[in-house]
Amino acid sequence: MRRADLVAGLTLLAVAAVYFHQSLFIVRGFASDRLGPAFMPRLLAGALALLALALLARATAGRSEASPPPPARVGLLAGTVVLLVAYALVMPRVGFLLATPAFLAAVLVCLGVREPVPLVLVAAGITAALYGVFGRLLGVLLPPGPLGRL
Amino acid sequence: MLERFALGAQVALQPYALLMTLLGVAWGILGGALPGISGSIAMALLLPFTFGMDPAVALMMLAGVYVGAMYGGSITAILISTPGTPGSAITVVDGYALHQRGQSGKALGVSLVTGTVGGIAGVFLLVAFAVPLSRIALAFGPPEYFAFGVFGLALISSFVGRDLVKGGISAVLGLMLATVGTDPFSGTPRFTFGSVDLVGGVAAAAGMIGLFAVSEIFYQVAEGVDWERIRGRYTTKLPSLLELWRLRVATLIGIVFGTIEGLLPGGGGAIASFIAYNEAKRWSKHPEEFGRGSLEGVAAPETANNVVTATALIPLLTFGIPGSNSAAILLAGMMLHGLQPGPALFDRTPHVVYGLFVGLLVANLFMLGLGLLALRPSIALVNVRRPFLLAGILGLVLVGAYSINNSMVEVWIVLLTGLVGYFMRRYGYNVLAMVLGFVLGFMVEANLRRSLLISLGDPWVFFTRPISALLLALAVLTFTWPILRRIREERRLVARAAQGLAERAAG
Repeated sequence: MRRADLVAGLTLLAVAAVYFHQSLFIVRGFASDRLGPAFMPRLLAGALALLALALLARATAGRSEASPPPPARVGLLAGTVVLLVAYALVMPRVGFLLATPAFLAAVLVCLGVREPVPLVLVAAGITAALYGVFGRLLGVLLPPGPLGRL
Repeated sequence: MLERFALGAQVALQPYALLMTLLGVAWGILGGALPGISGSIAMALLLPFTFGMDPAVALMMLAGVYVGAMYGGSITAILISTPGTPGSAITVVDGYALHQRGQSGKALGVSLVTGTVGGIAGVFLLVAFAVPLSRIALAFGPPEYFAFGVFGLALISSFVGRDLVKGGISAVLGLMLATVGTDPFSGTPRFTFGSVDLVGGVAAAAGMIGLFAVSEIFYQVAEGVDWERIRGRYTTKLPSLLELWRLRVATLIGIVFGTIEGLLPGGGGAIASFIAYNEAKRWSKHPEEFGRGSLEGVAAPETANNVVTATALIPLLTFGIPGSNSAAILLAGMMLHGLQPGPALFDRTPHVVYGLFVGLLVANLFMLGLGLLALRPSIALVNVRRPFLLAGILGLVLVGAYSINNSMVEVWIVLLTGLVGYFMRRYGYNVLAMVLGFVLGFMVEANLRRSLLISLGDPWVFFTRPISALLLALAVLTFTWPILRRIREERRLVARAAQGLAERAAG
């Protein structure tokens, strides 16, 4: 896991730096608030930086633990993540009732379902169940899209 | 006392009141089981329907939702790794591990039975000791809350296992995530990157859905065994009576810590369930099973968070201080019916207060019954082909995340934290430590600063107040004990290996 630890250590150092930099813009609270709103964030930024350095030191000294085997289905994971991002971008525009069955069907295809009938039934069924429970019963304002609110 | 109880029973055991309580519990289980819909939202949705009811019945119905939601959240914690409240976050660890071993019925059954025991024990504590126990609540000021939060954070050292660096990183990341949004104290925005959407901070439910549920989906998609081989292996077999009897110590531990935290307004059951889990592990005859599917690891936190539902009503009824969002809705329900909380409430309207107590007992029994009925169907739902299950969970958690605030922001948060959680799992970091930091960060920071405001900047305030000093000392012990024990074990192993080598060299 040496390479993973090196990458993680450097990334975390960068995260700590950005986080600390952002903490400089926090508006000071009132005077009797001794520590102020920026104290905790700076403490955490320091702690993260120290821990990241410890991780890097361990990795360069060659004391990292063995790496896990590479994921068996990287392609599927990448596909799922791309579909999720696309869904989150598109759903507010085209509406829940159009985007969700399309997204679910795409996920199912990505995960290896090839039979058309179960594919369509399951994608439509999950959407209907979610719409019924969340949109109708619980009154969640799901994005309506061009279909409007049924 | 007994006459009042009889009076309460007269109100609560009428068929109409029973029916409404039953409906409340069913609605609560549904609401608790849906990600993003918390018990308090389920109660708020029902509030308008209770306007026309008798105040006692209205409160019973709301209390039914309150009780049912706790178990509903445990169903999803165990079956799809999505805790409904921070109080059932730790249930994911052993509950979901049991489920993955196929023992889903046992995990759900233990959660249900110990939860019912906890709920009923909580009601008895509430009835018998409401007034004396409420004094403990008054002894807790900001320094004590701070110390209690630190005690909770100290558990990280026993949760993270051997790699303290990676565990520490996980916890700090969680604490950092908690600082996003409006500052708990001065009200200035922090780390919102100019976005109005982040001013409210990262919702606890969104962080937990991402870190627990979405990261688990990613993990199952990317790695692990062949899906077709594990089809239909989740069994509905319930725990045996002997197995339940073996959980008595863990359950008792859950009752103790649940009682303490329930008294503290704002506690909400998260710290109690974490501490109960940790103590149950220390007292257990099989601590090595914790984390891999221990029934005790489900029993202790599930008892604790159900005790909290009842004991959180103590500060509510005696002082009018709601200990959680759900208790606040209950308070709203009381106000709507012209009931003013306070010690006088017990004398002026005993039929309402004791009706509520009896109603809580009944609601816990209904929860047991309905939970048993829902057990088979909910396991059947997760026994479908793996791609269908994963797509269904994805749809459910995405809509759940959206419904937290009717906004896409939480959907993005869930995706991002899901990816972070996936990489953390893969490379030996600790998602649980991150959730612990995330859930407690806000409370620890707010009470640290509040304490120093009261003490005019004197940090000794944490050590001169006895309860706070005691809690901090316990925190130090809790933090160092697992580390010292690990060092000792490693030394022993090294010594044994050296001895072996020496013997081989001699022989």
